[in-house]
Formats: sequence, structure tokens, C-alpha cells
Amino acid sequence: MRPWARLLIVFGVVTPLVGFLAYGFTRDPREIPSPLIGRPAPPFTLPLMDGGEMKLEDLRGKVVFLNFWASWCPPCRAEARLLEASWRRHRGEDVVFLGINMQDREEPARAFLREFDITYSNGIDAGNRIAIDYGIWGIPETFFIDRNGRISYKHIGALDAEIIHAKLEEARQGVVSRREGKGDYRSIQ
Amino acid sequence: MTTARSSRARTGRLLAALVGSLLLATAAGAKEDLDARVREIAAGLRCPVCQNLSVTESPSEMAREMRALIADQLAAGNSPDEIRAYFVSKYGEWILLSPTARGFGLLLWVLPGLGAVMGLGGAAWVLRRWARRGAAPPAPVDAAALARVRALVHEAPSALPPEGARLVEGLRELEFDHRAGALSAHDYEELRTLYETRAALALASLTEPPRGAPAEGATEAPRAERAPGAPAFRAWRWVAAALFLVGFGSAIGFFLPQAVRLRDGGSITGGFLTGTGNAALPVESRDLPALLEQGRRAMDAQDLGRALRLFQRALEVDPEHPAARAYLGLILLRGGHPDRALTEFDRALSREPKSAQALWGKGLVLSETPGKTGEAIRTWEALLAQDLSREDRDHVGSVLARARQRLEQEAKPAQKVSR
Repeated sequence: MRPWARLLIVFGVVTPLVGFLAYGFTRDPREIPSPLIGRPAPPFTLPLMDGGEMKLEDLRGKVVFLNFWASWCPPCRAEARLLEASWRRHRGEDVVFLGINMQDREEPARAFLREFDITYSNGIDAGNRIAIDYGIWGIPETFFIDRNGRISYKHIGALDAEIIHAKLEEARQGVVSRREGKGDYRSIQ
Repeated sequence: MTTARSSRARTGRLLAALVGSLLLATAAGAKEDLDARVREIAAGLRCPVCQNLSVTESPSEMAREMRALIADQLAAGNSPDEIRAYFVSKYGEWILLSPTARGFGLLLWVLPGLGAVMGLGGAAWVLRRWARRGAAPPAPVDAAALARVRALVHEAPSALPPEGARLVEGLRELEFDHRAGALSAHDYEELRTLYETRAALALASLTEPPRGAPAEGATEAPRAERAPGAPAFRAWRWVAAALFLVGFGSAIGFFLPQAVRLRDGGSITGGFLTGTGNAALPVESRDLPALLEQGRRAMDAQDLGRALRLFQRALEVDPEHPAARAYLGLILLRGGHPDRALTEFDRALSREPKSAQALWGKGLVLSETPGKTGEAIRTWEALLAQDLSREDRDHVGSVLARARQRLEQEAKPAQKVSR
């Protein structure tokens, strides 16, 4: 074989391999792409912290903002005030904000709600069953559910106001996002 | 009568105990059976909150709940395949430790086998080439020397140099093997030619003057044949290899630091591998610049707790230090206390009106407060007037542009916001 041909073969094998490895370094190994976007939101019945319970099916016809959180998670704290502000801005419309507390204890969770003066409904997901149903792997994780009960957008990590308003508007119009969003998050236990 | 009754009662009790223990045993057996089935399914699932642990092995809370869920679903009569399909529908194919042999997953199954086959094939091919090259027609040697070797083989042992004696001995064994039928005619011919040539060469080198003129040196012949053209090609190959190494090294040096987040102390492993540990400053230090530097690093490493302790210590040393106040504010803001953060930023700015960190943080707080976007924009504009690195300047510029856009939209509330 000609020497240049041999060199070409070596380069042809080594370059893609190195490129593949380099690409691997740019990925977040914890990230799990969700297969749920565009699919019907898994139904659940959530016992609420101020009594009563909330069935997701009963919210059909409304846009649902579903936020998984825990009191020990700094990005959840960072976005808490913003979520409450967005809720107050949108509460007159056909929008429901719902918080699901997970991997937490009830006392710090209640203290968290008091501290940030949260007025939208919150419940505790005992046994993480709802979390597993939604494929949660880090918090905060937020799902936007459109009027037909379909997940239109998913965001892992802290949200900002612009994304909330834009994605609520998209959910209202039934527009499904192609990609999920990402911000500062904490891995769950 | 009484004894008969009591004995019957005793038998009854005994029977009850027997049945009870049998029931317990079967219950325990069923429990063990269920546990084994749960473990089997969980072993094929990847724990979503760990790095490369199965749900069986993971000690995490999430994995425990997943095992409980599997047990419940098994008890409800679902098949292992249905349970796996459930997890795939929630977490995608990612959750399976061994990917299904379809689409892209098929590649993962096929590639290692393909690689092994190609590697073995390539190795076999190269080995064959080497073997053929080794058996290449040996350099022409003196017919007389060959004849002498043949004579030697059939003669009684004579005084020969060690190498010659070894080769002659080898030839004798070869002939013996051939006669015994252990060697094929082809192999025998090939090996005999090889050995005879070597022996003839050894003899020739013996008869000639040891370090004489290389004029007719049969030993030099093969080396001399390869000479033309070789040095140029080899130099070219070395240059190519060196260029490749330099390129590879530069690429690694460029991409690796970008992809890997440096920990406290600037070392990727934080001194974990070298055992040097991070030369962490004790929080009790009074060295103000060092406290600030370590605090900044802790913030970069997302270790907000340590950063908070370091900046608080810096403020004990100098209660009005503007940078320490500003950083404290940034930590409070991250922790979801914008109002308290704002007071810290204002305190820092009252001492040092040009503090970049305080201006940045104050802008952030104001931009998230409804109706204060205009104020936020003015704060950031003041920040841009300071001496900033190009990266920071670009970042502030883009955030400022977005804030201005939002201000315009807020000014025209009639138009719906849509993106």
C-alpha cells in the first residue's frame, strides 16, 4: 500500500474518533431528553397542602403551569418570587399554576411557601410517583400543559419571566415547542 | 375423657401452628420471589439521578421509589416488558442500560463486533504480510558455501562457531522432522532454504576478514537494496506525525478547558488526584484580598455556602468593603432575596459608586421588579461606562438590549407579547 494511502486511512479513522470524544465533552451527562413533549400530560390527583385535592383532568380547557420544586434547592428559591409574580399577572386568565413539592419535608416546604408568599396551589408528591410519571431527574422542572391536556413545553432549571410569558402564550395557542429549555438546576437525590 | 380432649386440642393447636408456619413460609417465599423479579427489572434500568448505576444498585431515594413502583406494578399483574415500556415512555430510551437493537441503538450493538472483526482481520492481514516478507527469497549466496553447509549437515560434528553449529543442528532436526512426516514438503523446502542461506552467510563471514572491506559482503546486500528513496520517505512521515501530534495537542488544549469546569483552586480535580488538596484559606483569615479572591472562586464553583462565609468574614474585617458587600448581595439574589440584596448593593454603591458588581446586581434586581425596567437600564448603562472586560461588556450589552425591548413592550401594553 502507498504510504499516503495508509496515512489517509489512519487520519480517516482517528479524526472522527477524536471528534466524537470532543463532542462528548460538550454534553451534560446528567441531561435526559424528555419524550413527553407533545404527548398528553400524565394524569394525577394531587393532595393540596391547604386541604382538598387537585385532579389534572379537571383542569382541561385551561393552560396549566406545573412546577416541581423542593425547599432545599437554590434555583427553586431563585425563581420562586418570579413564579408568584407571573401567577399574579396571569391569574385572571384561563391559567392555573400548580406547584408539586418533592423529596422534601413538610415543615420546610410550608416555610418556603410562607417566605415567598406563594398564593397558587401546591401539593406534596409522596413517594415521587407523579415525579416518575413526568420523568423528573432534576429540579426545578416545569411543564406547560395546553388546553387539551398536552405538554407543550418543558423547562429544566430556573425560569425567567420572558420564557414564562412566551410559553404560556404558546400553550394558550396550542403551539408545541420542539426543544426543551434549560437553566440552572439541581440534581435530585 | 379429659385427656382425650386435651390431646385433641393439642393436636389442633399443633395443626394450626403448622398451617400458620406453612402460610408464613409461602408468603416469605413469594416476597423473596417478588424481590428477585424487582431486582431483575431494576438491573436493566439506569438510575436517572446517578452516573452509570442501575436502579438495583443505586442507594438514591429516586431509585428506591422506582423499585417500589416496579414491585407495585408486578403485584398489579403487569409484565416486565410492560414495566420497562412504562419507564421508556417517561424517560426515553435513555433509561435502558442496554439500548434496544433498533435505529441508532442497533449501531451500538453492531459497531463493537464490527470493530473486533475489522481489527482481527487487519491484524491477520498484517501478520501474513510480515510472514511473507520474512520468507522472501533470501539474498543470493555463494553456491560453494551452500554446498559446504549441505556437506556439514551430513558430516560428523566438527569445530564450528556457535551460531553455525546451532544452524547446522537446526537443519539436522528439520530433516529429521521431515522424514518423520511432521513437516510438509513445502514448509520443509522453505525452512531449509532459509537455514542453509543463514548458515552459508555465517560461514562466509567466518572465512572473510571480520571487518574487511564491504566490497563483496553478502551480509550487506539486503540492507543496501532498501536504501534508495527510504530516507526521504521516512522524513516525510516523521513530519506528518509531528504535525498531527501538534494539531491534536492544540485541539485538546483548546477544547478541554472549555468543556471542563475548573474547581476551586484552578485544578480540574481540585487536588483530589494529586493529594495536594485545595489550599483553602481558613475562613478565620484576616487577609482581605485573599478572602475576596477565594470567595469569588467559591462563587464560580457554585459553592455559595462557602462564598457566603468568606464574604461575611471579609465584611467583619472591613464592614463597608464595597466588593464584599456587592458579592454578598449577589449571593442573596441567587438565594431568592432580592430586597435584601438591593440594600447590600446600595450600601456598596454609597461607598464606591462605580462598583461593577454592585451595579450589575442592582440592575438585575430592578429588572425583575415590575415597573422598574427603566431604572435597571440606567443602572446598566452606568455599568457600561466602567472599565469592563470585553466578554462582560458583551454580556451586559445583550442583557441591556433585551431590557430595552421589554421596556418598549411594557410601554405598549395593548400589543400582545408573543415570541
